[in-house]
Amino acid sequence: MKEVDGKMIILILALAIGILIGIFIPVSIPQDYSSYVAVGLLAALDSIFGALKSNLKGDFKIDIFISGFVGNTLIAMLFAYLGDKLGIPLYQAAVVAFGVRIFQNFGEMRRVLLLKNKSFVKEENKND
Amino acid sequence: MKARIKKPTGGQVATAILLLILGILISMQIKSVKQSNELKNLEKARAIELAEQINQLKKENSSLRSQIYELESKIKEYQDSAASISKTTELLKDELDKVKILAGLTDVEGPGVVITLDDSKLPATANVDPNSFLLHDSDILQVINELRAAGAEAISINDQRIVATTEIRCAGPTISINNTRYSAPYIIKAIGDPKILKNSLMMRGGIIDLLREFSIEVKIEEASNIVIPRYTGTLKFNYAKIKNEGS
Repeated sequence: MKEVDGKMIILILALAIGILIGIFIPVSIPQDYSSYVAVGLLAALDSIFGALKSNLKGDFKIDIFISGFVGNTLIAMLFAYLGDKLGIPLYQAAVVAFGVRIFQNFGEMRRVLLLKNKSFVKEENKND
Repeated sequence: MKARIKKPTGGQVATAILLLILGILISMQIKSVKQSNELKNLEKARAIELAEQINQLKKENSSLRSQIYELESKIKEYQDSAASISKTTELLKDELDKVKILAGLTDVEGPGVVITLDDSKLPATANVDPNSFLLHDSDILQVINELRAAGAEAISINDQRIVATTEIRCAGPTISINNTRYSAPYIIKAIGDPKILKNSLMMRGGIIDLLREFSIEVKIEEASNIVIPRYTGTLKFNYAKIKNEGS
C-alpha cells in the first residue's frame, strides 16, 4: 500500500502543478476550439478513472493507459470537429460514452475498495 | 519506506507528464469558459444600456417638441401684440401671415377637394406589366401639378404639407414625401375653389382619365371645409443666402 500511495502522491502533485501552471500562464484556449478541448478533457478524465480502477484491480498496464489517454482524447476531439462540419452534434456521443464509462469505472472501484477493506488481511496474505 | 525512494519507471514519468498536461488544459479551459461568459454578460449589459439610451433620447425629443410648440405660440403672441402697436407693424403682420401660408408654416383651413388614390384592385394577369396597375411618384406629381395649375393654395399628401422643398419620389414600394415614406392609399387634400379643382382633374384626357384607364382607384370629393396641417420639418438653409442689392 505504501508504494501505491507514493506513486499516487506524485501523480496528484503533477496534476496540481499542471493546474497551477495553467492558471498562471497568460494563455487561454481560443473560443473556436473551446468545445473540442472540453470533449478531449472528458476523454482524458475517463482514461484516468479507468487507470485508477485497473490500478486497484492490479491489472494496470502503463502502455494501455498512455495509448488510451492520448488516443481517446484525439478521437473525441476529431469526433467533435467532424460533428461541427457535418452539422450534427456528434460530440454528444463522446460525452455520453465517456460519461457512462466514468460512472461504471467509479462503481467498480467502489466495489473493489469495499471488498478489499472487508477482507483486508486475506488479501495481504495472498499477495505475499 | 524503501518503495518511495525507488526510481520511477518510464511509464510513471510519462503518466506524470500526461497528468501535468491535463492539469494545464483543465485550468486553461476553465479560464476560457469564464472569459466567454463574461463576454456574453458584457454584450447583454451593452444592449440594455443602449435601450435605456434610446428611451432617454425619445423622452428628450418629445419634451423638446413640446418646447417648440410653446415657443411658437409665444412668437405668435409677440407678433399679435406688435401688430396692435402701429399701422406699419399691422401691415407687416398681414404680410407675414401671407408668406406663412405660402411657405406652409401654419395650419390652414378652407374649402377644397379631397382626392383618394389607391392601387388597382384588379387581379394580376399574364402578359401585363404589374407595374402599370400601381401608383407611381410620377402619377402623384401630375395630380399635384394639375391642382396647382387650377389655383390650389395649399396641398397636402397624407397630411404632409407640400412646400417648396418637398420631394415626391419613388422609394421602393413606397413613396417618399418630405423624407417620410408612405404607401397607398394616398389622400391628397387641396384648398382652393372646389369646382375648379375638381373640373381640372376630371378634364377629358386628363390625369384622372389616364389613371382610371389603368384601373387605379380614384375618388374625388368636394369639401366645404378641410384642414391642412403645417410643414413639420425643420427649415435650415446652409447654402442659400439673401443677396443684398445696392448695398
